[in-house]
Amino acid sequence: MNGKENTQVQPPSSRRDFLRTTGVATAAASLVSAESVLHEVRAASGGPHYGMVVDLRRCFGCHACSAACKAEYRVPLGKWNSWVNSRETGQFPKAARTFLPVLCNHCENPPCVTACPTEPKATFVAADGTVQLTDERCIGCARCERACPYKVRWMLAVPPDPKLDRFKDQVARKCTFCVHRLADGLVPACVNTCNARARIFGDLKDPQSEISQLLAANKAAVLLPDKDTQPKVFYLGLPPDLDYQPTNGGDYARDLASAA
Amino acid sequence: MAKTQMDRRNFLRLGAASGALVVAHTRPHMLTEAAGQEQFGADRWKRAVGDRHSLTRRDLKAVPSSCLQCVAICGIIGYVGDGRLVKIEGNPRSPNNRGMICARGQSGVNQVYDPDRVLYPLKRVGARGEGKWKRISWDEALDEIAAKIKDCLDRGHPEEFMLHCGRNRCKWIQEPFCNALDTHTVGDHTSICEAGKWTAQELTWGKHYDINDVANTNYLLNFGCNVLEAHTSHSYFSQRVIEALARGVKLVTFDVRLSNTAAKSSEWVPIKPGTDLAVILAMGHVIIQRDDLIDHDFLETWTTTTVAELKEHLAQYTPEWAERISGVPAADLRRIALEFATHKPSTVLSYRGLVAHENGAMGERAAKMLDALVGNIDVPGGTCLNVTGKWGTPPDFTIPGSHKKLNILDGEGLAYPTHHCSHKVFEQIRKGAGGRPKVYMLYVHNPLYVNGDCQANIDTMKDESLLPYIVALDIALSESAQLADLVLPDATYLERYDPEAPQSYQLIPFVQIRQPVVKPLGEARAAQDVWMELARRLGKGDLFPFKTSEEYLRLACANTDGLKEAGGFDLLAKEGIFVQSDQPKYRKYAKDLGALAEFLTANAGAVHDEATGVVWNPAKNAANKTGKYGDHKDDYKSYLGQVRNGRVHAGFVPDKVPKSGLFELKSHLLERKGLPALPSWQPIPEHQSMGPDDLHLTSFKVNVHTQSRTQNCKWLTEMFHDNPAWLNPATAAKYGIKDGDEVVLTSKSDGTKGRTLKTKVHLTEGVHPQVIAISHHLGHWAYGRYASGKEAFPEVEGEPPWWKTFGVRPNWLIPNKPDPISGQWSQNDTVVSLQRA
Repeated sequence: MNGKENTQVQPPSSRRDFLRTTGVATAAASLVSAESVLHEVRAASGGPHYGMVVDLRRCFGCHACSAACKAEYRVPLGKWNSWVNSRETGQFPKAARTFLPVLCNHCENPPCVTACPTEPKATFVAADGTVQLTDERCIGCARCERACPYKVRWMLAVPPDPKLDRFKDQVARKCTFCVHRLADGLVPACVNTCNARARIFGDLKDPQSEISQLLAANKAAVLLPDKDTQPKVFYLGLPPDLDYQPTNGGDYARDLASAA
Repeated sequence: MAKTQMDRRNFLRLGAASGALVVAHTRPHMLTEAAGQEQFGADRWKRAVGDRHSLTRRDLKAVPSSCLQCVAICGIIGYVGDGRLVKIEGNPRSPNNRGMICARGQSGVNQVYDPDRVLYPLKRVGARGEGKWKRISWDEALDEIAAKIKDCLDRGHPEEFMLHCGRNRCKWIQEPFCNALDTHTVGDHTSICEAGKWTAQELTWGKHYDINDVANTNYLLNFGCNVLEAHTSHSYFSQRVIEALARGVKLVTFDVRLSNTAAKSSEWVPIKPGTDLAVILAMGHVIIQRDDLIDHDFLETWTTTTVAELKEHLAQYTPEWAERISGVPAADLRRIALEFATHKPSTVLSYRGLVAHENGAMGERAAKMLDALVGNIDVPGGTCLNVTGKWGTPPDFTIPGSHKKLNILDGEGLAYPTHHCSHKVFEQIRKGAGGRPKVYMLYVHNPLYVNGDCQANIDTMKDESLLPYIVALDIALSESAQLADLVLPDATYLERYDPEAPQSYQLIPFVQIRQPVVKPLGEARAAQDVWMELARRLGKGDLFPFKTSEEYLRLACANTDGLKEAGGFDLLAKEGIFVQSDQPKYRKYAKDLGALAEFLTANAGAVHDEATGVVWNPAKNAANKTGKYGDHKDDYKSYLGQVRNGRVHAGFVPDKVPKSGLFELKSHLLERKGLPALPSWQPIPEHQSMGPDDLHLTSFKVNVHTQSRTQNCKWLTEMFHDNPAWLNPATAAKYGIKDGDEVVLTSKSDGTKGRTLKTKVHLTEGVHPQVIAISHHLGHWAYGRYASGKEAFPEVEGEPPWWKTFGVRPNWLIPNKPDPISGQWSQNDTVVSLQRA
């Protein structure tokens, strides 16, 4: 599950200038000009720059993605790389329910990378834009887990390693966009199984890719835009009044079961 | 941004600023490989979708097989490394699920590696239900069972060996096994599922299933079907519903609560439980008056009624009348009916919300009537007769069917229990008049858990005077297996062979393999092989021209049209799926078989029954004494065709009942039993005497579980392990109840009157104010650590669950009341009163 060894693209501080978000993002509207993101990333290295679109108009909350991700990574019970929230609004008989799949946003400006104290970094942005992990460098301090505003990171207990000093015998884990599948030319497990075809994955730099076409043709939004993380998971149909309170694993387990 | 939109306008068909969904053709994933490459070019296609059609991940072995986490039977591929199942994914070759599977399919891995899985034969020591077992060898177990069955055979009462199946996808061997032993006392579970839906279809158009041709439809009208969470064809049906919504097709859902299907619908119409029938009849009333909208030709020449008769019959069912009964505003009812009739082809979806009521079979007949009125029957975009692949069988393999059975399978006094009345079996055993099994064998069936009135059934299973010997073939120490005398470790679906031919949502016939993805764990053995071994030990081995399931499958493949020419078993084992024809089959009933005179000449023994229009072979059914088609229940087996305008057509082929080859909108079979011949309103008696504060107790399914048998799948139960009762806040306010409070429900329904159930409530605006809804997956008191918190095998370590709640079981309160037409369990009829705990 570790990321491939790749050089980091840019140190975090310069990314703030690197990515301007034009035509943006009042707190209420929480929209991102996808074109601006596309324009900037095209300027970077020659390979693909991966992102994902989640089309909430299609998602029907089936949790195939939640289960596929558990299976793909053998995520332990109690932890989640990807999950689906659901939210009810309205009053009978005009009640409504919407679904919100959440996963690592593979941010352009990732606070987890900023927080990682090791040198070279145990977590970093790879050349393809994905945020990856390296167990050999991880000291188990969990700063990245706390730094992530989306709560997509968690710590996996590991046996003590006589060759590696760790603050605690654990390493960071999260969605890697199925980096092991990307290497084989396969899409991430969640994308592969999504029955609604609500997850679209691909190269943001390629204007012909489906993801680029969708972003060009639709207004997309991101989660927690005020955190300035520059996510690369874009949502179509995100409710504008969404007050997203992140928690790892979301609220499904609790949504229907009033007890915690 | 605007420039880009302009450039893409033609290609993407952006539509209105209201956020119209991007149409399907912009999504390469939705296209077949050929169409995708054609539209996008091979290079862009590959970049867009990745190498998703690769059948191998480089380091793992790919084994195509068939899922069985529900009965959609999706094509899957198991990825295996070093003999361990690593991952399950969809088989891209499946015309149904097209490479995608649901949460349950993904979690099939948990079935194989469940720490509480039964892996060795277990023999009871101590009293039934004490939970004390000793491990014995297979030989010892099979010797014991064979001796018990032999006793029945020697005494001349083979029917006292009963096999009661739950999830049974191996009729190919189960039926020959029982026939070889000359017992027809074979139970199933269908009456707690959707027997009413199937029986209604048999009375109306013939063999189930119904396939809603969503890919080509213009309107989806839904009564109580929660396709986006569960359905006989859940995953691939739901995929197509989402695609339909994406291209602007309207979905209107009538449901007592906001299911996920209702939540994604264009409109959710809340409705009082058991009144969908009234709404459908009133819609019929609206539509039949529109001569410009109805299909005169179909109604007049393909059904057993006329437009004039329908107009007269439906006149009484006004929308205002239906509003009084159902709460659905008459204006909405009218509008939706006309939308349905003016957006042809349209299709009616229906399932347990309509069917699991005392008037459920009648409801399903009414639903089919709606489709028939506007000409939706078996047309592209409409409601279609089932299409499946056709398997061959090993040559010279026929064992005559047995007629010997105990009279305990079909309840009492039911008109047409064509799918039995399994939830009444234990009651029949208690009563004794129909006989009692001396050997009661359960196969993937958990009657104590899945039926209503649990306590009565527990008492029955514990009573050795009623059931002297019980064997359970299962992967789990289920609630019922716990009370067995012998438990045999079954193989999971990922460890065995079956020939499959799923219902086809592209209406093209295909066959599919189920083959072992991994070897059975421990000493687990597929029931298929266990039955063959038992048959051998009972001296019936010679009747079977094969020794193993694999041998059977090889012989079957060698005898299956198309497949045998294309590569047989080896091809199917490699690809998983074989499509027998790529031409979708519509209007199957209209297939012309020739002019009547020529047909009679060409088919020796064929006779034209003028009263019904049926052409049949009366000589094949010696039990029919009158020579008139339909006078004997088995006459349908000799059916050959239906005459219409002097020509013989395939017709609406009858199944299980001697219906004619017409669409029996007016059912002579029902008339014969003193029941309404045309779809008619039937109020539910107990609902007429409800108190002002009484509530309807209904139950429902969720998208991460299947019935009773996925709760040991840790990844699924992690997501859903508690089922507080859904209650409307306005109703709760009357009692001062807050979200999460405990309440006590008391049954007011005959059969469980006075029984109570304590549960928490979940307040939601997504439920009818007169309904309290409890999902029925949960409430296990056995089955393992993830399902119930109790380890079946405490000495076996497993990943511990973090959750501490395991839900409640509504079944304790639900009586085993059958629908009088079909025997369907009316599990959504119960009336309860509510108090704060």
